[in-house]
Amino acid sequence: MRIVIAEDSVVLRDGLVELLTRRGHEVVAAVSDGEALRGAVAEHRPDVVVVDVRMPPTHTDEGLRAAIALRAEHPELGVLVFSQYVETRYAAELLATRSEGVGYLLKDRVADVRDFVDALTRIAAGETVLDPEVVSRLLRGTTRSSVVEALTARERDVLGLMAEGRSNAAIARELSLSGGSVEKHVTNIFAKLGLPPSEDDHRRVLAVLHYLRS
Amino acid sequence: MSAALTAPSAPSPPGSARPPGPPGPPGPPSGGTPVGPRPRASRRLRAAAEFLYLLVGVPLGALGFGYAVLTLLLSVITGITSLGMPLLSASVRGARRLGGLHRGLARGLLGLTVSPPRPLPRGHGFLSWTAAGIRDAAGWRAMAYLVLKLPVAVVTFAAAGAFWGYGLFFTSHLGWWWLVPDGQRMAVPNFDWEIDTWGRALVLAAVGLVLLLAAPWVTRGVLVLDRVPLRGLLGPTTLSERVRDLEEARSHAVEDAAAKLRRIERDLHDGTQARLVALAMKLGMAKESLDAEDGRADLDQARLLVDHAHRGLKETLAELRDLVRGIHPAVLDSGLEPALATLAGDCAVPVRLRVSVPDRPSAAIETIAYFCVAELLTNVVKHSRARLATVDVEQRGGVLRVRVADDGVGGAVVGSVVVGGAVVGGADPHTVGVTGGDGTGSGLAGLTDRVRTVDGRIEVDSPPGGPTVVTVELPSHT
Repeated sequence: MRIVIAEDSVVLRDGLVELLTRRGHEVVAAVSDGEALRGAVAEHRPDVVVVDVRMPPTHTDEGLRAAIALRAEHPELGVLVFSQYVETRYAAELLATRSEGVGYLLKDRVADVRDFVDALTRIAAGETVLDPEVVSRLLRGTTRSSVVEALTARERDVLGLMAEGRSNAAIARELSLSGGSVEKHVTNIFAKLGLPPSEDDHRRVLAVLHYLRS
Repeated sequence: MSAALTAPSAPSPPGSARPPGPPGPPGPPSGGTPVGPRPRASRRLRAAAEFLYLLVGVPLGALGFGYAVLTLLLSVITGITSLGMPLLSASVRGARRLGGLHRGLARGLLGLTVSPPRPLPRGHGFLSWTAAGIRDAAGWRAMAYLVLKLPVAVVTFAAAGAFWGYGLFFTSHLGWWWLVPDGQRMAVPNFDWEIDTWGRALVLAAVGLVLLLAAPWVTRGVLVLDRVPLRGLLGPTTLSERVRDLEEARSHAVEDAAAKLRRIERDLHDGTQARLVALAMKLGMAKESLDAEDGRADLDQARLLVDHAHRGLKETLAELRDLVRGIHPAVLDSGLEPALATLAGDCAVPVRLRVSVPDRPSAAIETIAYFCVAELLTNVVKHSRARLATVDVEQRGGVLRVRVADDGVGGAVVGSVVVGGAVVGGADPHTVGVTGGDGTGSGLAGLTDRVRTVDGRIEVDSPPGGPTVVTVELPSHT
């Protein structure tokens, strides 16, 4: 993968470059603010960008703004928003227009190098990856829509893992279920959320978005 | 507790070279001059200045009286037209300005600094301009002063003038009494006493001398009559202004607290958290190296990564320690003195510290005092080029006085005015922001705000060429 990193902390930036290079990926540019990020993307056309939410000059949500703009300008670009804390509002904003090729992860996740690089690869391939923390926060909000209330606890677990971008097989492993029962849960979720039968992947995304928008 | 120590702590052996400056402890710090007025002018000069003040006071008093009576009268007369109110507003505003003139005169000639009242809020439009002027309590008080000033000036001038005038007149008789033709010799009014012999002239001259000697004291005495209304009517002392002051101090306190939290969050986010993530990353990579997929662990690589992580962790710990100490130095819990001793020991410029605080102040006061000293010592290191700093903390009558002096280049700037003498920080919070000689160090402005939250005051004396003495006074208990 060809990657651009936008991160203002030098230790983290260097660490990410080292980690990804070691894994055989090419970091074509590493910048420290949103403006430079957009320039680097225009210049290098990477497969995926890793963006810190808080960057100069405002140190608020610069990175998020840049990520949203990049997604609009370069639909094929994978965007991983990377932060030290998660805000469900940020996730909702990121996914507001499209849910393909985007991810939102806590920085802590780099500790598991394999999972992290995996997530990045999936985002580059157009999948959606949400941090378990975001998902659990969404699911903890029990007073959300009545539709979500209608889900059983097990179905919520499944939906949570779907939101993290896992495949049915991965969900089955995680929850120690058979592949068949996971499929049954997924079908139930689609039915309860009122999602019409269509291409499976798309419905998965819609199911996740249902949470974010409800 | 009471202590005297020199930091850095290594005591110099007798006869060894010490940095130039005041000799070792204990003893009064000779490096800094005491905070106070400029080198005192000679007595005679002072007496002359005070008399000049009284002299100028009479025409100025007449002018002010005339101004007040005339403008008020004019406002009343035009009161039935739409001109009355604006005129009144202008009149009150003018009184405020004339009050400023009197304050300036008192500062220049009497050395009496009365802080100006808060400036009028800048309004929008003519109506609010008019209303603000009429409702300006400070302006009305200045008006009252102008009216009062004339009789006060006349009485005080007459009293002091009599002593000076008769004193000179009587004393000078020795030189010329014989020149005055007989029959016209009359020296003492109301005493039909002719000076026609040397003996009488001598007695008169002696009386004149007594009058002359007493004149400066009489002048000073009658000046009290002037000082009282000057302080009371031209200073910022009304209850409403006090309330506004407190409100401002409170909002500073709230903002200060919020800003502090933001700073801590920022430090944690950008420092500790980022470092820990990087550490996790390194250890994650090390773990990968150890259980490589093809079964061949790269031990060298793993060792290198763990080594990096280990070093990073130690740095993180040091950073976190500094951060925690910046939030609240734990040593402060055992008292101001040990905390300041630590601070002094860490300072790049040698610090002589004397702490005498028999009655332990409130924790909040101790904290403010501590951070004041920290900030002031930082400024000493950054800007003063001093070779020695002195920190004195003493407690007197419920007031904790912290004095930080250095033998550096001075020239600290208060507002945009270079001060030679003392400037009282609590006096005018709008202009007091102290910067070092090179124009930096706005930290002191924040300090002023923080000190004001507990009704403390800060005083900066930093003539160009030094020395700089900053005195902070805090109530012992909040």
